[in-house]
Amino acid sequence: MNLQTVGTSPHRGGGFERVTGQQKYVADIKLPGMLESKLVTIDCAHAKILSIDTAEAKKVPGVRLVMTAADLPQPVPRFGPQVADRPVLADGEVKFHGEPVALVVAETLHAAEQAARLVHVQYEELPAAFTVSMALDPAAPLVMDPSLRPNDPLAKTNIFNEHHFGWGEIDESKADLVVENTYSFPMVTQFAIEPHAFIAAPDKDGIAVWSTIQHPYWLQKILAGLLKLPLSKVRVYAPDPGGGFGGKQHTKYEPALVFAAMKLGCPVRLVLTLEETFQAVRRTSCETHIRTGFTRDGRLVFQDIKAHYLLGAYVDIADRVVAKGSYAGAGPYNVPAVRILSKSILSHTPPATAFRGFGNPEVNWAVESNMDEAARLLGIDRLEIRLRNLAKKGDTFIPYDKPADGDWSQTVLKAAELIEWHKPLSPSRHRGIAVGIKLGPTTGLSYSLVRLLADGSVIVSCGTSDMGQGARTVVAQIAAEELGVPYDKVSVVMGDTATVPYDQQTSASRSTVLMGNSVLKACRAIHAQLKTRLAKVYKIDESEISVEHGRVALPDREYPIPELIKVALGKLGGEIIGVGEERKDAEQGHPLGGPACFYEFNCTAVEAEVDKSTGDVTITRYVTVSDVGTSINPLQVRMQDEGAAVQGLGHTLMEHYIFDEKGRIRNLGAADYRILTTMDLPKEFYSETVENADGPGPYGAKGMSEGALLCVSSAVASAVGDAIGTTIRDLPLTPERVWMALQAQK
Amino acid sequence: MEKLIPIEMNINNQHYKLEVSPSKRLLDVLREDLDLTATKECCGIGECGACTVLVNGKAVNSCLMLAVEADGATILTAEGLASNGRLDALQEAFLEKGAVQCGFCIPGQLMAAKYLLTQNPHPTREEVEEGMAGNLCRCGGYERIIEAVLSVAEKGEEQL
Amino acid sequence: MSDFEYVRPTTIDEAVRFLAAHGTEARILAGGTDLLIQLRNNDIQPSFILDVKHIRELQTGVQLKDGLVSISATVTMSELVMDPLINRYFPALVDAANVVGSVQIRNRATLVGNICNASPAADSAPPLLVYGAEVVAIGSQGKRRIPLNDFFVRSGVTVLQRGEFVASIELPVPTTRMGAAHVRRTRRRGHDLASVTLCCGVQETGVVRLSYGSVGPRPVLALDTSGILADEKAPEEAKTAIFESIFAQASPSKKSMRASPAYRLAMLRVLGKQALELALARLNDQG
Repeated sequence: MNLQTVGTSPHRGGGFERVTGQQKYVADIKLPGMLESKLVTIDCAHAKILSIDTAEAKKVPGVRLVMTAADLPQPVPRFGPQVADRPVLADGEVKFHGEPVALVVAETLHAAEQAARLVHVQYEELPAAFTVSMALDPAAPLVMDPSLRPNDPLAKTNIFNEHHFGWGEIDESKADLVVENTYSFPMVTQFAIEPHAFIAAPDKDGIAVWSTIQHPYWLQKILAGLLKLPLSKVRVYAPDPGGGFGGKQHTKYEPALVFAAMKLGCPVRLVLTLEETFQAVRRTSCETHIRTGFTRDGRLVFQDIKAHYLLGAYVDIADRVVAKGSYAGAGPYNVPAVRILSKSILSHTPPATAFRGFGNPEVNWAVESNMDEAARLLGIDRLEIRLRNLAKKGDTFIPYDKPADGDWSQTVLKAAELIEWHKPLSPSRHRGIAVGIKLGPTTGLSYSLVRLLADGSVIVSCGTSDMGQGARTVVAQIAAEELGVPYDKVSVVMGDTATVPYDQQTSASRSTVLMGNSVLKACRAIHAQLKTRLAKVYKIDESEISVEHGRVALPDREYPIPELIKVALGKLGGEIIGVGEERKDAEQGHPLGGPACFYEFNCTAVEAEVDKSTGDVTITRYVTVSDVGTSINPLQVRMQDEGAAVQGLGHTLMEHYIFDEKGRIRNLGAADYRILTTMDLPKEFYSETVENADGPGPYGAKGMSEGALLCVSSAVASAVGDAIGTTIRDLPLTPERVWMALQAQK
Repeated sequence: MEKLIPIEMNINNQHYKLEVSPSKRLLDVLREDLDLTATKECCGIGECGACTVLVNGKAVNSCLMLAVEADGATILTAEGLASNGRLDALQEAFLEKGAVQCGFCIPGQLMAAKYLLTQNPHPTREEVEEGMAGNLCRCGGYERIIEAVLSVAEKGEEQL
Repeated sequence: MSDFEYVRPTTIDEAVRFLAAHGTEARILAGGTDLLIQLRNNDIQPSFILDVKHIRELQTGVQLKDGLVSISATVTMSELVMDPLINRYFPALVDAANVVGSVQIRNRATLVGNICNASPAADSAPPLLVYGAEVVAIGSQGKRRIPLNDFFVRSGVTVLQRGEFVASIELPVPTTRMGAAHVRRTRRRGHDLASVTLCCGVQETGVVRLSYGSVGPRPVLALDTSGILADEKAPEEAKTAIFESIFAQASPSKKSMRASPAYRLAMLRVLGKQALELALARLNDQG
């Protein structure tokens, strides 16, 4: 196929607005008569609320409302994407450090902040369970009220759910070597540079909400349920988020704002501080106990994985994170026997939610580190042991799921070549390599509307959120390609549930494939209409006309679509509207509700130096290679993979929450929670792809952008382990931790 | 109530005369009073650089400066980078090199880059890394940002 | 941020008079890079903010007079780094000023402010101690000079009295050749608060002045007059013994989340050696 726009890298859709500062994020929006608000919290991880005295706060000039749970409908409404466990405001008990007990609304933010400090909360501090072992202690306080989980045998524990996956029989006697270890993955936060922001405003007989949300339609559904309003009366505006990374998928404080706005009859805005975002969203931390059996020649015999994921005080989407994150835990390998037990453990910590990689990096870190250890013990090269076990294209490496959909060894070999795996290194330098895999979406539903206008320009309406991944650009490229129009004549409308058709969600790297296919289908619906109309105009049979891929072929000659639009539309003009629908239905009986739409496969290779006197790790070369099927936009693919790598280097080298002895987070905010800066980058950085056009998306594309984060820790730890001659099993690999490991050897 | 203080500022070549409350930061006045929302707030403590503006030609975090301190100052924000509808070379380069992802940090990044190149028109890569280290990008677009800044530096001073 | 009144004196007299009347309710604003964080976090709620940047007498910048280099209260870290006098005589102070925060922070943060905050982790303190700095404080009792080593009490506390503020910091121009270097440990390479900050100065006479911070309630200054540290041929064990006595005063907090005491103490030793080597190299370069 001769592609025009797809496969090129035009300027990013919305790029102009972003470099000129015109892009309006939620916090930039001002509505007439809008009030400001501030959350009231107590400095406790777990407490019983005895009383809340709002009198003094209400006296602050400009204060319009101090809302507590008592001011809400009773019983206090609860919500959540998996289970409705989260109260709109703390209901008699604070279950994590930062859980809001009240919302103060005032004419200015200044007044709201002043008043928030004058809300006097009397409380009794209770013991908090904020680690896996604390939460699993039989004497631990229960995080979730058992009445919220009737008929649940686990109701009197902090285990919200247990997931069992696997196949084959684990037989240790078949293994020549069993490697058994426990690995921990830290609690980290999404840290989008745009803090979450929300506005709620009465809207005629309904409500309008502006949110930094990734899933506007899901928010719409939740709000409609809470307010008992028809979906059509809940309008969610979702301006492009300033970074999401999973942390903006689900409803947070929108319900509280909506109740406040309805009470006051005017718009109310809440913009979180960065500190508050740390208390609103985070990744599941995890302790993985893993036993891996190998034959003498390095072939996998079994994987026995127990993953204890630590959720927060409310489930959010994290139980799904646990299921999906551990399901492919055995990796992209052919393994005869696999047993996976993953537990979703509740704790008195901020609610864990989706975060790029969706539970997979947590287990990958254990599986890949064990591969390394086996390689060392068996005297097999670390690259070779992976190649020996890697599933080949078409292999059913997870029973009942999609067979391997790529030539993954090509990806691994490309990474090996770029890191010069087989070349000798100076003694101070060491290499590491790892692979990662993640399932794409298991279900999905994306509608789109494409309008080919009379002048040959195009409007695409689709409900994907462009939070930086570049969906705007990709769908515009697809429409331009299919309709034969220049890229810059395509406008993309997103982020308004009242005008843009339904999209299930923006997650799991789905949009290029699912929304991409939806837009492709909408364009093809336009092709069909063009054909019918042109047949009429030219008085020929439809079978004599073909419309595809931007061109119309008439019996005599071919035309680009734009040249024939006016002819097709006739005197009245108007436009041609195509509707696209792409669905991936659930499959009954499948452990995840459906097989993978595609796999994200990545190989990361690292060359590093370790300063043995300080424990400093310097990454001298970094290679990430992803199998993306086809790059719709090569530059954006590169941006996403580089970004995923940099983000992964964060939890690998420096990021983690630090708690005090009572479960309060000590390093809230940017001063003591460190992420990478420009000075912390690898010295050389290669981001490459493998493209065999073997994906289910448009032009053979697969989803991408999480893949490059999956095995960052494993690859870096592989190099560090090689350098220091010992394996570190806890992240992040801070200089202090590396130094400690070196000391322990002495 | 706080006593309001009259101040005057030149922002993006426009003269402003206003009265501000002393506890307002320059960032608050830009965003809330003047609706110049290109300048963003993230960390609020001078760690992320999203609120970077040039005050009298110097890059500063506008979250760490009171508005009253800017009395008499000449200020440049991201809104003022393009002139007569023509993008600044840095803005062009950011688009061209793929430095823009979610975009939230970008106005701050651009202002830091602008300052860097006025101080040092031909920086080395290391100098760019150092000069841009006060601006966090969670999309992890640093490689592209650095490349964009370097590409402008290579074109020479006259285009700044 | 709480409400406060903003005061902008233009003379020292005016400032002194204001502080004599309102000293306990006022906070001094120079660069503001620490003050605004404290205000934002409501760690402090002063009634008055006194901005010293418009005081004419404090706008003198960096000046050399009678063998003393004085750095006035309005001089920022960026200005310090660019200053020819500072570069010529006090390169280790340039090292330190260069790593205080990001460019944006250095464009606002002042040296005097850095010292007045009395953070144990202040990077400028060790070089200033090594170079023998004095603080010039002004109050209603007049002007007084305080050796920097007597200035710090503990984290956040100095010997400044109510109503007193620092007008400048003065550094004697070295009369003997000296090589000095500042080094630090942080959690990442990008700007960060130091978990250990250290400066070593080697004089051609063989005296070594070593100062370190972030490992106790205030920065520490120690001297080695034995000549052993400065002697590149001296045996390692002898040097180690001196370092051990120098570092005996380190008492890192167990509560810090930046690094454990064990790591800080070990890094103090690594940095000590590293700074000594750099300082010696700089001394030799001058020769």
